[in-house]
Amino acid sequence: MGLGGYTGKILRIDLSRDTVRVDALPREWIHQFIGGDGFAAKILYEEVPGGTDPLSPANKLILATGPITGTLWPMSGRTVFVSKGAQTGIWAESHVGGFIGPELRYAGYDVLVVEGKSEKPVYVFIEDDHVELVDASHLWGLTTSEATMKIQEEQRDPDIQVAAIGLAGERLVKFAALIVNHARAAGRTGMGAVLGSKNVKAIAIRGHGGISVANHEEFVALAKRAQERVRVNPQAKEMGKWGTWILTAVKQEIGELPTYNHRTGVFSGWEQLSGDHIRPRYTVSDRACFGCSLGCKKVNYIPDGPYAGTLEEGPEYEGLMAFGSVLGIDDYPTTLKANQICNKYGMDIISAGTTIGFAIEAFEQGVLTEEDTGGLKLQWNDRDLAIRLLEMIGRREGFGDILAEGSREAARRIGRGAEKYAMHVKGLEISGQDGRTHRSIALSHATGARGADHLRSLVTVDQLGYEKVAAQRWGSDKLPEIINPYTEKYKATAVVETENTYCIRDTLIVCWYSVSWPPIFWMNDFAEVLPIATGVEEFGSVERLTEIAERQVTLKRLFNAREGISRKDDQLPERFLKEPMPEGPGKGQVVHLDPMLDDYYRLRGWDLKTGLPTKDTIRRLSLQWAT
Amino acid sequence: MVTLQKQLSVDYTKCTGCRLCELACSAKHEGVFQPSLARLRIVKYDDLGLDIPNVCGPCEEAPCVDICPVYAMRRDPVTKMVYLEEDKCILCKACVGVCTAGVIRLDTVAMRIIKCDHCGGDPECVKICPTGAITYGTPAQTAVVERHGKLKAYVAEIHRNAMKE
Repeated sequence: MGLGGYTGKILRIDLSRDTVRVDALPREWIHQFIGGDGFAAKILYEEVPGGTDPLSPANKLILATGPITGTLWPMSGRTVFVSKGAQTGIWAESHVGGFIGPELRYAGYDVLVVEGKSEKPVYVFIEDDHVELVDASHLWGLTTSEATMKIQEEQRDPDIQVAAIGLAGERLVKFAALIVNHARAAGRTGMGAVLGSKNVKAIAIRGHGGISVANHEEFVALAKRAQERVRVNPQAKEMGKWGTWILTAVKQEIGELPTYNHRTGVFSGWEQLSGDHIRPRYTVSDRACFGCSLGCKKVNYIPDGPYAGTLEEGPEYEGLMAFGSVLGIDDYPTTLKANQICNKYGMDIISAGTTIGFAIEAFEQGVLTEEDTGGLKLQWNDRDLAIRLLEMIGRREGFGDILAEGSREAARRIGRGAEKYAMHVKGLEISGQDGRTHRSIALSHATGARGADHLRSLVTVDQLGYEKVAAQRWGSDKLPEIINPYTEKYKATAVVETENTYCIRDTLIVCWYSVSWPPIFWMNDFAEVLPIATGVEEFGSVERLTEIAERQVTLKRLFNAREGISRKDDQLPERFLKEPMPEGPGKGQVVHLDPMLDDYYRLRGWDLKTGLPTKDTIRRLSLQWAT
Repeated sequence: MVTLQKQLSVDYTKCTGCRLCELACSAKHEGVFQPSLARLRIVKYDDLGLDIPNVCGPCEEAPCVDICPVYAMRRDPVTKMVYLEEDKCILCKACVGVCTAGVIRLDTVAMRIIKCDHCGGDPECVKICPTGAITYGTPAQTAVVERHGKLKAYVAEIHRNAMKE
């Protein structure tokens, strides 16, 4: 290869044929895509044809890393799993922290592609050059954590990194997750179901090699300065102390805390779900993912009450939302218990909670009855019910079986107008934001390649009112509108530029928290580190990185277009468009999506009417091969 | 004059398990990012939420010195620091097996023993540690910490709850 940062190898495992192949990483891919999401998009587009059933052997599960994964650069331990979505049937990606991505690199590979389907339950075991499919019939039915420890035990190495599925993945719960390091989830879009459909219990990796960058001395010096920037950043310090729990109070204050299935954006019981309440009472230790100075992971212990003895990491803010305010539950221990169940079974807590919220509201509105639920009375703020339903979903038991399909499919099967209460975009449940009181996120939710997503283009600069940063990034002529959360004006500008930066973030791959608030890292920082790490000089140009990001966004769009996605699907549930925010600081607000979509397509070079990339754009981004 | 012994001291309760120390160590000594060549290691218990840094020393008795058949592993009588004279090493790997912290390692590519030298008195792991979980100093300067506090609290709680059931 001759390039720094890359191992230069793609490992391919064909489960159907029980064969292993190592391909060289094509050099042109590096120039076109950098790594991570980009490599995965290239592979998925070329190798998983339109119309493929996501749970069939023809689908593939890709684990991709970037050129600085597993180095000293802050928060560079992240990894992405990519597949055609079990839950959504479109482009699907799920990023995860922990340690498994770096381990793949130490084993000597940049990318792992798992394809086909095994006849019997197996786990994939990779130790450097040694790759093996190991019988996993004795692991079937175990929790993700049990399976992980069992693999480490039988392979006699506690440092093996494992991504495992639990019962939910085995039973093809559509939002089943992959769990690494006991409690870190590649949660969204149903990666666990894809692995389960392939009869694979886990991917276990151990590597003894290393990563060399192009200019070691310079890279180490820059990475140390970058670590220092994280350590002195006031918001990062707060995040280190409170984790994402800090968001509960912020969201409540601006009226964006999804409550009662996104009906409203304020929750009377929010204080019970805030960091101030949780940390002093329950937190026993702070933990971090690989290479992170910040350490936002909190391990918590419930000393008394019905969930006494629960020791578990998390949940994140999204879990507090999904099993707290969304269900009207003002009780932290319930959210921790729910998080523990999600981790054991391997499920996405956002989709699980929001799907339960859908069911409760449908029941309240008389669309669902006790006949449908098997005698269960669904109601808000019912802690035992939430936990019980969650376990039923994980086991696909009784009424849980239909909810295990996710809210879109459950609503379709129930009929009777239940769709009105399903809070999803393109089949993926809406995360813990509300476009009515944070207009740019409405556009992010509507246009996110994997569905209602808060991680691909969430703008925080408007939400938190960083005027100077907004002027610098997007031009002072766009102030004050661009940071006004209640207007559509200029929001596409903010979303597109942010999405581009996040795309590069997802090629490196670094954590969301290294870009989430200014003045931590942004495009110019990536342009500084990439040439030093890789030796590819052109990565030093923000314009070039922007072009690579645009290529990635447009390629994902082309993947989705092949599955029939167009402007008509870039929508939000009616609730956000027609039901004014009933209370709180943003009372009366609704989303006007169309003007923002027009702007977004214009900036992306996509057709206004269809929302699909134009021929010119495809040519400009050298994507002719994908049409 | 008495020279006080400087040592690496760890506080489990502060360790977040980020393994930056392993990266910084291998970056400095090997010029790559390779935890398997680091002179220290973080032992992780994900199910308990515990991370324990294992570093070289302080050992009251140094098993690696005692076991070395050719006196390649030596202990400086003044600083108490254990060091390896690579010229003498016959690669019997006895020290790798006997080290209670598991931080004497074998480089299976270059076939040599790897051992911490405290970076000559300015340890890289201490400088990179974001939480002060690893410190370097004489015992008097090093904060006295309840090393097993976190672990004991866990076990006590788990035990208490087990009793209830």
